[in-house]
Amino acid sequence: MAKVKIATDWLAGCAGCHMSILDIDERIVKLLEAVEITSSPVTDLKHPPKEGVTVGILEGAICNTHNIEVAKVMRERCQILIALGDCATFGNVPAMRNLCGTDEALKRAYLDTESVVDGLIPDSPELGKPLDMVTGVDKVVKVDLFIPGCPPSADAIFHALSELLAGHVPVSFPPPLFKYD
Amino acid sequence: MTMVNININGQKVSAPAGSTILKAAKQAGIDIPTLCDHPALIPVGACRICVVEVKGQRTLITACTFPISEGMEIQTESPQVVQARKLVLDLLFSERNHVCPICEASGNCELQEMGYRYGLNHWTYPTFTKPFPIDATHKFLFMEHNRCILCGRCERGCSDIVANHTLGLRNRGNQSMIHCDANLPWGESTCISCGTCLQLCPTGAISDKRSAFMGRDIQTEQTKSTCSQCSIGCGMQIITRGGNVLKIKSDWDAEVSGGRLCEYGRFDPLYDVRKRITSPMLRLRGKLEPVSWDEALQAVAEHVGKASTKDIGVLASTYSTNEALYLLAKLFREELKATNVGVLNDVAPKLSDKRGSLADITISDVILVVGCDPLKDQPVSSFFVKRSVDKGARLIVVGGKDNGLAPFAYMNLEMADVSKAIEIAERAAHPVVLYGSGVTDKAATALKKLQGKASFVAIENGVNTRAAAALGLNNGFKPSGVKVLFTLLGEQKMDDEYVSKNVDKKAFVIAQASFISPLTERADVVLPTAIWSERSGSLTNTEGRVLKVNKAVEPKGEAKPDWEVLSLLANKLGKKLGTSLNEISARATQELK
Repeated sequence: MAKVKIATDWLAGCAGCHMSILDIDERIVKLLEAVEITSSPVTDLKHPPKEGVTVGILEGAICNTHNIEVAKVMRERCQILIALGDCATFGNVPAMRNLCGTDEALKRAYLDTESVVDGLIPDSPELGKPLDMVTGVDKVVKVDLFIPGCPPSADAIFHALSELLAGHVPVSFPPPLFKYD
Repeated sequence: MTMVNININGQKVSAPAGSTILKAAKQAGIDIPTLCDHPALIPVGACRICVVEVKGQRTLITACTFPISEGMEIQTESPQVVQARKLVLDLLFSERNHVCPICEASGNCELQEMGYRYGLNHWTYPTFTKPFPIDATHKFLFMEHNRCILCGRCERGCSDIVANHTLGLRNRGNQSMIHCDANLPWGESTCISCGTCLQLCPTGAISDKRSAFMGRDIQTEQTKSTCSQCSIGCGMQIITRGGNVLKIKSDWDAEVSGGRLCEYGRFDPLYDVRKRITSPMLRLRGKLEPVSWDEALQAVAEHVGKASTKDIGVLASTYSTNEALYLLAKLFREELKATNVGVLNDVAPKLSDKRGSLADITISDVILVVGCDPLKDQPVSSFFVKRSVDKGARLIVVGGKDNGLAPFAYMNLEMADVSKAIEIAERAAHPVVLYGSGVTDKAATALKKLQGKASFVAIENGVNTRAAAALGLNNGFKPSGVKVLFTLLGEQKMDDEYVSKNVDKKAFVIAQASFISPLTERADVVLPTAIWSERSGSLTNTEGRVLKVNKAVEPKGEAKPDWEVLSLLANKLGKKLGTSLNEISARATQELK
């Protein structure tokens, strides 16, 4: 049987959720008998293949136009999209800038910080433009499975992938695996 | 009691008439989720998370407020109910900041628990509609309005339990917020720092500055004990982690206080900066030197043993346990026949053979406060009084316009006019007299007229004053002529100059104390004593109830519990007064009956 293809990518996150994927530890060897990780920020290939994957996993919140692009590409190229972690599901820490507003947050970070001299707010055309409101992934693309957690435990991620492989849909989480922190 | 038969989720349940659906379900072991409800508060049905389906009712109804009636058929987790609860949660999460990973309450949060229970895994509606301020002006607490769900538990606790009315709700809709005294910074408001709101808050909106982020409930140990700060004896839980006391919580099940606690009990003991004594000390060549327990006790035994009865003086702090006071009385009063024995605080006179209970205040219609200041000295008793006044009881304060309760009084009288207050009390149905050591002899005689009619509650100075008096330790201490002075000081602060000014310079002074003070510096032997969190035993409150105190952490350094020090000293003197805590406790309780 052909292996199930999985691609992952990250948005406005801290890479912690990807660390949690790696924390699956030796179980990942068994998992790799059934799945192929085509691309991810921690592999050589960074972008999901054009021919598509079965499962796409996104970590991080939507906080700029670049995040929207990445999320849309992943959505187009995968059949099942997983929002992994509190940032992807709720917005979490990146979304806390909504409390003061994006302009104020940029000003505080790049101009008003005590150690800054002649500060500049980055505005290179190569960079995504910050959005007024930071949101979870589901506000931009359709999400099929949410795994909250900051980060979600390796057990929760392993459980979700195992359940998907076994065709147990929708995936439900036993209480210890369903956490917001 | 009339019982009403209802049916919950197909299960037959029978509960007392007048019970709410929530109470009836709880009694039958059926769990209905709640947020704004709390067993200690009057239910208001604000959050709608407890909605249930009742056959024949037009809409879903709140279980916390709806009374049961015969034959009622209730569904607590039907699809319609679950859908409604999810909607409520979606709406609650749609406002303000409910990001768990950086919240102090995460792991102890009732809102988070609800999210887990109903599988809330993303936010249905846009969030962060309006930012709110953080109020960090309070001495002990933070108020993070962005985490508030407007359940009103803090505000109702402030009114229903403490009757202080500092917290309130202002504005409407998504502009609503909790405020202090209609918009003062918390630290400048009429808040009395009882911390009731802190304990009632279901989310991270109110948190404790000292213990924030230091441990969730599951990471800490809870030890039930009794507050050792005044003579009321409020139940408390000492929260510890790794041998450190993090915070103090009140005990909702406590028989005397029912979850009440004040600043003195909840916060002050944790902010005590006095320096501890960690080893026994003996004056050698004019200087206090650390020595072993054996050497220190030997020195005490020698001096006490060879002193003549009239040369011995004993001063006891009522902050001590029943066990320590019992041993002190047995050892010095009975075995050594010492008579120059006194306690470190004034004792209220005995006005009635039968002492009333604090619960009497809640059903009283006229309350006399005579010669004491409950609000200043024993705040929890003032909560009872103010709550009763809120409900319509008349408060008469006798003796002192500065009395903390004077602003709440129907009438303020001079001590000389106490008879006017007595006249009013005589006409009342359930009068209560709260009195203290400030009652003059004349007033005391006059008040005795109310015996049998009124309930007398003494607002004793000190803590275990009732036990100390019952054990004959309040015998009137005179410092002149004392050649060997034994002071059981414990944690109490005492007049710095009392001993140095009044006691003979050549007298041999023994200080059994927890903290370094001018007394311990003057002393010839210092016996380090465990503090409230480090000792087990019991206390007798002003009502005469014997309440347990339990050790939550190990005593600092070589300090020992007050009773153990006295038990070891008794052994050194060859007196057999019991060795184990249980044995001494049983004897003390018997003696205090």
